[in-house]
Amino acid sequence: MAETLLDIAMMHSDTLIARAREGDKNAQGKLVQLWYKRIYNFSYKFFFDHDMAMEVSQKTFISMHKNLSGLQEIERFKSWLYTIAVNCCREEVRKKKTMRSFSLNDLNQEREESYRWEESHHRNENPERVMRQSELSDLLQSCLMQLSPEQREVVIMKEYEGLKFREIATALNVSENTVKSRMYYGLNSLKKIFEQQKITKDTIGYEL
Amino acid sequence: MLIAYLYGELNEKETEKLERYFAQYPDELVKLHGLGEVHELISHVQDKEVIAPPVFVDDASIKPLWRSPYVKFAMGIAASILFLLVAGKILGPEINYANGELRISFGKKVEKVVPPNLTENQVREMISSSLSKSNEELAATRSEDQKKLMQTLVDFNSKKIDAMTKNVSQASQEQVRSFVSNLQEQNLKLMKDYFQLSTADQKKYMENLLVDFSGYLQEQRKQDLQFVQSKVNYLERNNNQFKQETEQILTGLISNAGSKKNVY
Repeated sequence: MAETLLDIAMMHSDTLIARAREGDKNAQGKLVQLWYKRIYNFSYKFFFDHDMAMEVSQKTFISMHKNLSGLQEIERFKSWLYTIAVNCCREEVRKKKTMRSFSLNDLNQEREESYRWEESHHRNENPERVMRQSELSDLLQSCLMQLSPEQREVVIMKEYEGLKFREIATALNVSENTVKSRMYYGLNSLKKIFEQQKITKDTIGYEL
Repeated sequence: MLIAYLYGELNEKETEKLERYFAQYPDELVKLHGLGEVHELISHVQDKEVIAPPVFVDDASIKPLWRSPYVKFAMGIAASILFLLVAGKILGPEINYANGELRISFGKKVEKVVPPNLTENQVREMISSSLSKSNEELAATRSEDQKKLMQTLVDFNSKKIDAMTKNVSQASQEQVRSFVSNLQEQNLKLMKDYFQLSTADQKKYMENLLVDFSGYLQEQRKQDLQFVQSKVNYLERNNNQFKQETEQILTGLISNAGSKKNVY
């Protein structure tokens, strides 16, 4: 219910964007509150890493604050924000290529489970079921990570962020056909990966 | 188009067209179902819950007017003009354009001293007169220097000769005699010493020579005697040997003679 309200708020955020563009700090703060979860989840699915997602989210909103006054059309705010997020993700990928490092959080994944349980909004549900859902989510996420960055960003934008192909094309500064082509090949690749890992509707149904 | 259909982004016309296509080619529909299954599977990836951090917006973007680039640019130009004005006031520049020549000058104007017009002959006369004047001056200074040099030489020589003659004239006849006798005595003594020394040395040398010769003779005699002694010993040994051999031969002959008699 809360998400639906949030979605409604995002759909009708034109006035908020206009006020934020004119320098209203309160409106800018509300914009961050509205979009932070989406940008964080986009980055998280792109990197499958909490720290990287936090880093990208922060950079995205700092850049939004700096450049919002230059946004010409308010209707294009969504794709504009995702353009910033994608650019930040690509920058991090470039940095990651040059810097060989790993997160210390990766060393104690097991200990993180309790934290993840605490932070989960499903904690009123059946704990076993939630844990299975979380494991399945991680498994599918790891399959997603096997796609190329170009295909991955399109799949995430379409599947999880609900952007239209036109909006994705604007955000990535490519043609709509290119986006559709990347989506098609991305889904095909995922199909092959699922087949290799024996992930089907039935196995997932059994797990859940 | 297939992908757009999967995500419901086709209009009615396009949807109908595609459905007709699927009716003709059911394989494509199977393909689409496969992609639809993937679409359904990946929808199980959950969103992570995250709390947006508090936002602090600074006012760094609002810059005072004097820090804007336009004002800085204008201030730069104004400062340059002011600098030129101050420099102009201090140095007093003057810009002239005359006879196709642009002249920029600083400070007070210096009046040029223009010499009067002279003919070629006048210039020649001036040069020759200045040359002859300088030659005369040179000759005069040279003759003066020569005189001074001669004078100093004469003075120096006469002083030296005078000192020598003065010393000679001061010495008396007795002093000369004593000096000569001293010289003779010293020479004599020197000769005597020389001869004495040479005779003593010769004597010593001869004595040493005789001693050495007698030593040599003694040694020679000793060696000769030893040689003779050894020879005599040798002869004696030979003689003994000869005796023994003759005895052996004789005994041999005697024994042979006895044996032959027995045979007969």
